[in-house]
Amino acid sequence: MISLILIIIGAVILLLLITAFGYFNRFTILQNRISNAFSQIDVQLKKRADLVPNLVESVRGYMRHEREIIEKISEARKGLVSANSSGDIVKKIKAGDALQNAMSRLFAISENYPDLKANQNFLQLQQELAAIEDKIAYARQFYNDSVLSYNNTCTTIPGAWFASLFGKKAGKYLEIPEAEREPVKVKF
Amino acid sequence: MAKGIEKISFHDQIARNKWRSFFLVIIVFIVLIALGYVISLAFDPGYFFIIMIIATIISLLYVMLTYYNSDKIALASVGAKKADKILHRNLYIAVENMSIASGLPMPQVYVMPGNQINAFATGHNPKNAVICVTEGALAKLNKQELEGVIGHEMSHIANYDIRYMTTVAVVVGAISIISQMVLRSMWYGNRDREGKSNIIFLLIAIVFAILAPIVVMLVQFAISRKREFMADAGSVQFTRYPPGLIGALKKIKGEYEPMKVPDAVKPLFFSDTSRKISGLFQTHPPIDERIKILEAM
Repeated sequence: MISLILIIIGAVILLLLITAFGYFNRFTILQNRISNAFSQIDVQLKKRADLVPNLVESVRGYMRHEREIIEKISEARKGLVSANSSGDIVKKIKAGDALQNAMSRLFAISENYPDLKANQNFLQLQQELAAIEDKIAYARQFYNDSVLSYNNTCTTIPGAWFASLFGKKAGKYLEIPEAEREPVKVKF
Repeated sequence: MAKGIEKISFHDQIARNKWRSFFLVIIVFIVLIALGYVISLAFDPGYFFIIMIIATIISLLYVMLTYYNSDKIALASVGAKKADKILHRNLYIAVENMSIASGLPMPQVYVMPGNQINAFATGHNPKNAVICVTEGALAKLNKQELEGVIGHEMSHIANYDIRYMTTVAVVVGAISIISQMVLRSMWYGNRDREGKSNIIFLLIAIVFAILAPIVVMLVQFAISRKREFMADAGSVQFTRYPPGLIGALKKIKGEYEPMKVPDAVKPLFFSDTSRKISGLFQTHPPIDERIKILEAM
């Protein structure tokens, strides 16, 4: 009789241990996915920052009277580069958005410069930057998806119990500004 | 947004697909052993063990070889070529975008000839997956529509549908080869030998050989239809833009030209390759039904 009780207790403890290990691994996998999602955003932001000087170069000759906007882009790019070297994700995203806004103004103004619009180099850069913008949007979306599945695991029972046991807290979503829900369409 | 994702349990689907793939391989071995048994009885029970050993070795070899080369076989059978990064720039970007949105590794990208809009994915796991798109799809679909189609294929990759469908294709191929062999050997086999039991077993073997591939195919098609709905939902989760996929489906609906592809690879495709057959033999759900569900999302 006593041995039976011991066996049952042992089995329950074993089961609890296995579940705990399972949840620990699950949390780790989901957290890794979030950091992977973040590095995807990071890669695209770096690419964007790298392309901007070329864009400014190709534009400068045509847009002599738009010094203000070119300066704004250069400034925004500096902001992104310095944000990229810091580890702060929110800062990076904000700097990336600022650069994006400055560039979409440039692309809007470029409509008034037919010579510029005929420039192959400019067109190619414009296309590339538009593609990067899409990728940033998808990478953000995947980041939020990853945070969602992580949060679901650590806020629902029984995951919530193990989350508090391992000291895991729900992650934060990346806020996407209303105006940017729809990707900014670059007009050609 | 959260709701849409929660409705579909991808983890359950992945586990189910992995288990089913395994189960299917087991089934095919049982079928092969049963076939071998019937054949040996029909010819000469004395050869039972030799026939069984040969059958097992051949089937093992076949399954291993085709399983590990299935992507290449599928691509070769439809005449697909590797996509060019510059020539097919839009396709590459669409696949890159969907790979980022799904968090999966970048698959290999192929283009196959044909004016129809269609696409398929193959491989055994997300790390060595392939997405293949027809030239027609590249010419006729806009960016959002193409992303919808690629998202659908990406979702097949994420759900391990590709592994399951690959296994199914291998198994269907194996059974049809064996039943062909049985039927032919019956035809040309020893007709001069008499005996009631022989005739009975001969009949069983013939029925078996005829029925086996049909049963397997029906099972395969029935399951394939369900997973198409799952993949449509997955595509919308990746693109967050149902009108893209809806637009692609509507354009496909407007086409009437059937595609010529081998039977085994048919279920891999984005939409039905032929239009005449309907009901049980269809590899995909009706397009109208798919559109209706997507419009409700």
